[in-house]
Amino acid sequence: MSRKLGALTLVLGILVCSMGLKTALSNSHASGAVLVANGPDPLPTPPPPQKP
Amino acid sequence: MPGSVASLIWYLGTALELAFVVCSIARKSFLRYFFLNLYFLLAVGSSVGRHLILSSFGQSSDQYRYAYFYTDALLTLALYVALISLFSDVLGEFRFGKYVRLSAVLLLLGTAVFSYGVIAQSTERLSTKFAYELSQNLYFVGLVLTYLLWGTVVKLRETRARLVQFILALGLYFSAYAASYALVNLASKYAVINLMGPILGCLLPLSWTITIWRYSEEARLVPAQLVAVPR
Repeated sequence: MSRKLGALTLVLGILVCSMGLKTALSNSHASGAVLVANGPDPLPTPPPPQKP
Repeated sequence: MPGSVASLIWYLGTALELAFVVCSIARKSFLRYFFLNLYFLLAVGSSVGRHLILSSFGQSSDQYRYAYFYTDALLTLALYVALISLFSDVLGEFRFGKYVRLSAVLLLLGTAVFSYGVIAQSTERLSTKFAYELSQNLYFVGLVLTYLLWGTVVKLRETRARLVQFILALGLYFSAYAASYALVNLASKYAVINLMGPILGCLLPLSWTITIWRYSEEARLVPAQLVAVPR
């Protein structure tokens, strides 16, 4: 039982650390928008603004 | 279509991903590192799919955006599973396998619930936002897990060269990727900075391919010597 409780505590700790890191990075460096991705594929670009 | 340099990096990265699978088969380690191979096979498949969609609809199309983020969520999930398989390898001798699997499932569920909580109020298309948010959150969970895994390797004095190199390369990849976004925000006007993400995307398959080709399963090294401070 104590091992399962330990695993649960570890999971919660990792989750809190990860989300804290993400929030810190997005707030300090990326104006609230962080984008991380896998591999060398080109990121989608925003569509061009439409003419009125 | 992206520029010629970006396309070159894309093709090179995909070739390196394929090279890892080929080297893994050649060195008779495909099943030994099945989840790492699965990740790269999925990465190659998604690169081919994305290329077809990009050629047909363009880089700024909704089709490419949806294809990109859905496949990216799948790839991040595959990388997470690969990372957990490395955890199982390192802790395998200690009969912690059951707890590693339990913790991994709990962590994945926790991340999914957190991601849903973040986007629940959104008015945009929920499944797309969820795939994007889950992918981003799982990426940061992977980053923290990799550091935890490296701490475990040092603490347990793990000596298997392949495992140690795989984990080190993964840690470098995650850290460099996170740091590159700081650079993008600091100096986005330079084109080379915007290419850093794709270049770093080549780093993981390159280092893993070198590792699997250069070291045999029996090769040993001592990472503890790298961090030990003589007293």
